[in-house]
Amino acid sequence: MIKCDALAQNWKDDCFATNGVGSYDRRDAPPTRLPLMSNSEVSPESRLQLFEELIIPHLGAAHNLARWLTRNEQDACDVVQEAYMRAFRFFDGYKGGDGKYWLLEIVRNTSFTWLRRERRNLQAVPFDERSHGSVSEANQEDELVAAADLSVLRNCIETLPVAFREVVILRELEEMSYRQIAEVSNLPIGTVMSRLSRARKRLEECASGRIVESDK
Amino acid sequence: MNCSSDLIEAYMDGELDPASKATVEEHLSTCQACLEAHARFRKQSASIRAAAPYYTAPAHLQQSVREALRRAAVNERPTAVRNMPWRWVAIAATVLLAISVSWNFRRPQGQTAERDLIAQNVLSDHIRSMIGTHLLDVPSTDQHTVKPWFNGKLDFSPDVKDFAAQGFPLIGGRLDYLTDRTVAALVYRRRQHVINLFTWPSDSTPVNDRHFSRNGYNAVHWTYRSMTCWAVSDIGMNELEQFKDLYEK
Repeated sequence: MIKCDALAQNWKDDCFATNGVGSYDRRDAPPTRLPLMSNSEVSPESRLQLFEELIIPHLGAAHNLARWLTRNEQDACDVVQEAYMRAFRFFDGYKGGDGKYWLLEIVRNTSFTWLRRERRNLQAVPFDERSHGSVSEANQEDELVAAADLSVLRNCIETLPVAFREVVILRELEEMSYRQIAEVSNLPIGTVMSRLSRARKRLEECASGRIVESDK
Repeated sequence: MNCSSDLIEAYMDGELDPASKATVEEHLSTCQACLEAHARFRKQSASIRAAAPYYTAPAHLQQSVREALRRAAVNERPTAVRNMPWRWVAIAATVLLAISVSWNFRRPQGQTAERDLIAQNVLSDHIRSMIGTHLLDVPSTDQHTVKPWFNGKLDFSPDVKDFAAQGFPLIGGRLDYLTDRTVAALVYRRRQHVINLFTWPSDSTPVNDRHFSRNGYNAVHWTYRSMTCWAVSDIGMNELEQFKDLYEK
């Protein structure tokens, strides 16, 4: 058996610094080249056609991420619309690889710009006491308790600071690898891991009712 | 207790290389605290997925995005075209229509339309294979590995040849699905470019080679020993022809 300390240290030194961490159980495609992108002679029509073929299919993921980041349906739709226009304008910069992650990076940046501009939503949604309070009075059946737990947890995710919420959504809903999250969010992989870890800790505390988090 | 929570999480997230994974597993078999932490993380992860809805985009969103894109694409068009007097545009359109009508009249329409459809599919398939993760089912430069791999997966046995000596090395093959049937896709490399050669038993009359182009991609279509062949790549048409000649030898 290896001591915990040594294990952690070894891992940090050997794996983290090199390639030990990152996407072992997932398929990360090496970026493939899209030769036609650099070709300025491509007509606007075929450029649009290709864009629609490659990028439009990820509209669902784009919307879900924008919805979680902005916490508002109308804002999410506006962000997606704006992100798609940006994506189309910078389509020449798309060098192949999975179009979904390329698009999500733009959606993410658009969302953050949006949040800064709106100067709201960065403040926490007031914590909903009702979803916390009534559990013990409710029917004691397991299913109802479980449902109430889930609604508490959902509320906790909603009220996570946006930087933490982002990594939770990308990891748990989009099932992205650390490396993919790092690429989409423009963060070092180590930051992704520590944010994810802190987010999980906050969620655990919040769901068990110990601490009510507020955004910074 | 100094066990690494980061490490347990990375393990749960499937982010560890095999060696680190084995180390963690060994550790988990002896450390009760880490085992419990691991169970807690897993439970939490499942709860998050159950609690957090995947918000479905409203139906109108895709439509309005598509419309906005189309408007943006129109604005990109060279101004010369947009400012062209309507009368000339109308005349040109009429002439083009007349030409295309008479053209269709003279040709056996069904076959041409079908071939165009296949050309579209083949080109799209090539682009998809380049973008996604699925270029090769059987990565091998050895034709004697690639050919038997198709056994039992297809109702025919494709001709697998390697042209490494001529600058078109074989890099593998995969199964693909085209025009309602499973086909063999043989993958070759030409310098840094990928060539997909799709092949399946021919069910129509043999054709001489035909050329198709779209978005900078080229395709050559021919029939060889009663097999339909389509070679697609972003290399020039003359090089694709060269490739076809090699394959037919």
